[in-house]
Amino acid sequence: MIQFMDVGKMYPATGKGGEPTVAVQEFSLTIEDGEFCSIVGPSGCGKTTILNMLAGFETPTRGQIMAGDQVVTKPGPERAVVFQRPSLLPWMTVFDNIGFGLTIRDKNPKGHNLEITQMVEEMGLSGFERHYPYQLSGGMQQRVSIARALITDPASLLMDEPFGALDAQTRSDMQRFLLELWKTSQPTVLFITHDVDEAILLSDRVVVMTPRPGMVSEEFQIELKRPRKWDSILSTEFLRYKKQILSVLRHEAF
Amino acid sequence: MGYPWSNQKTEMIEEMPMAATDMVIMDTGRSYRGYVPWIAALVAILIWEAVAALHVVSSVALPSPIQVFRDLIATATVGYSGQTLLNSTLFSFGRIAVGFVLAVLVGVPIGFWMATTDWVFLIIDPFLQFLRPIPPLAYLPLIVAWFGIGELPKVILIFFCTIPIIIISAMSGVKGVQENRKRVAQCFGANHWQMFRYVILPSALPEVFTGMRVGIGVAWTCLVAAEMIAASRGLGWMIMSAGGQLQIGVVFVGIIIIGLLGYGMELGIRTMEKKMVPWKGQA
Ligand SMILES: Nc1ncnc2c1ncn2[C@@H]1O[C@H](COP(=O)(O)OP(=O)(O)O)[C@@H](O)[C@H]1O
Ligand SMILES: [Mg+2]
Repeated sequence: MIQFMDVGKMYPATGKGGEPTVAVQEFSLTIEDGEFCSIVGPSGCGKTTILNMLAGFETPTRGQIMAGDQVVTKPGPERAVVFQRPSLLPWMTVFDNIGFGLTIRDKNPKGHNLEITQMVEEMGLSGFERHYPYQLSGGMQQRVSIARALITDPASLLMDEPFGALDAQTRSDMQRFLLELWKTSQPTVLFITHDVDEAILLSDRVVVMTPRPGMVSEEFQIELKRPRKWDSILSTEFLRYKKQILSVLRHEAF
Repeated sequence: MGYPWSNQKTEMIEEMPMAATDMVIMDTGRSYRGYVPWIAALVAILIWEAVAALHVVSSVALPSPIQVFRDLIATATVGYSGQTLLNSTLFSFGRIAVGFVLAVLVGVPIGFWMATTDWVFLIIDPFLQFLRPIPPLAYLPLIVAWFGIGELPKVILIFFCTIPIIIISAMSGVKGVQENRKRVAQCFGANHWQMFRYVILPSALPEVFTGMRVGIGVAWTCLVAAEMIAASRGLGWMIMSAGGQLQIGVVFVGIIIIGLLGYGMELGIRTMEKKMVPWKGQA
């Protein structure tokens, strides 16, 4: 279980005479084990800040965050992160990038061949093991990022607009791909996006945030049955959710 | 808690054909890259020959390429003032190699240290910025006074000319590490050594190589200054001494050899760079 308890984050003023930025305020949210939870909200409302605090990259200035029964104080391997822009290490091959977490964990770059090869196959990356990230398309790079995050069996997966930079076709492929991966074992997912369709299609619950300072505006339990297919987004139920969420977003944006 | 991520069936992949964009981007070389530099060099020599043949300037001041070639043969076989060209070249090359390699070996760790430890930066940076704009000729007398006239002062001069460049490039390489890449390692619980080994060092390498390429050029620039220190051999010495005797052909020989050697070392570093940082400029 992941719990944000009355979390606030204020960034100090930059330069003289500047105002400090209150990015997030009184943010409370509980995500159950195995739940797929999305956060949508206008740009700049503090979505990345929330994810960074849960990941342990930033510390809240108010309140606290629990992951399992631990207070989050620093990054940890049980909370894997997939970044918006691929953060692959350009000096490593696809194979070594995927195995990076194991290399760090076991303090040894060798001896993980079996696990990595299995992951490569699962991710549809066979034949690209020896390629470098810059030789791959954006979609494949993001697949490698996901593979790297999953290989250490994290309890939760934090994703910050992971498909934001992809074209529509690749994006839709990646959404189905992610659902397939998640279906087998259901880790807890915190998924950040500004695409309402994407949020509804993937999630058990969609959390809508207010503009900065970000707070929870409204939550929607998405009861579309799984497995969801590409044409789920055309069902009347789907459109009803979309209409509700968009109206909250519009209202929030004044 | 373990999640059986690995039990995935392969059928899933069939369901999801790769998009058309999921292709490997290949880079193909172009054939003209091989011969254009040679043609450029040839044209330059032809223009030189034409200017010399037309006697635009006196042939003492501008010997023709053929005259320079004769001087090249003469200095290579008979030698100039008792030093063969090979001998002079080896001495110059040795001084540069020792000074430059020392600068890299000392400068890179200092740069890394400055980038990661604030107080080290605060101590070293003023000296670095102070030393950097001083032309090597200005502290030549000091170096002679302190280190005499043997090989040591020449190497020290080259060392001091190049080390600021190396330090600064190593430092900015480390400072330029992308935050996201560090965070990836933090997520997996990397310790300081792992962070350095897998993220910071490889991130910094491209800039270190750029610094080395600039540095090797500067090292040759300092060479002439270094060999003004009571030298009796070396390419810089040969140029200065032949110039004094109006043997302009020999001056040209020296210049050309320095240019070629500098170019060769640059190519050497470039090859090393391609091997060690193949991703440079692409990520
Ligand atoms: N390191 C920082 N220093 C100062 N202000 C920041 C910093 N990071 C984010 N902010 C500010 O906090 C607000 C929320 O940012 P962010 O969480 O990135 O929003 P989102 O991801 O929803 O677009 C923005 O107004 C942004 O300018
Ligand atoms: Mg963001």
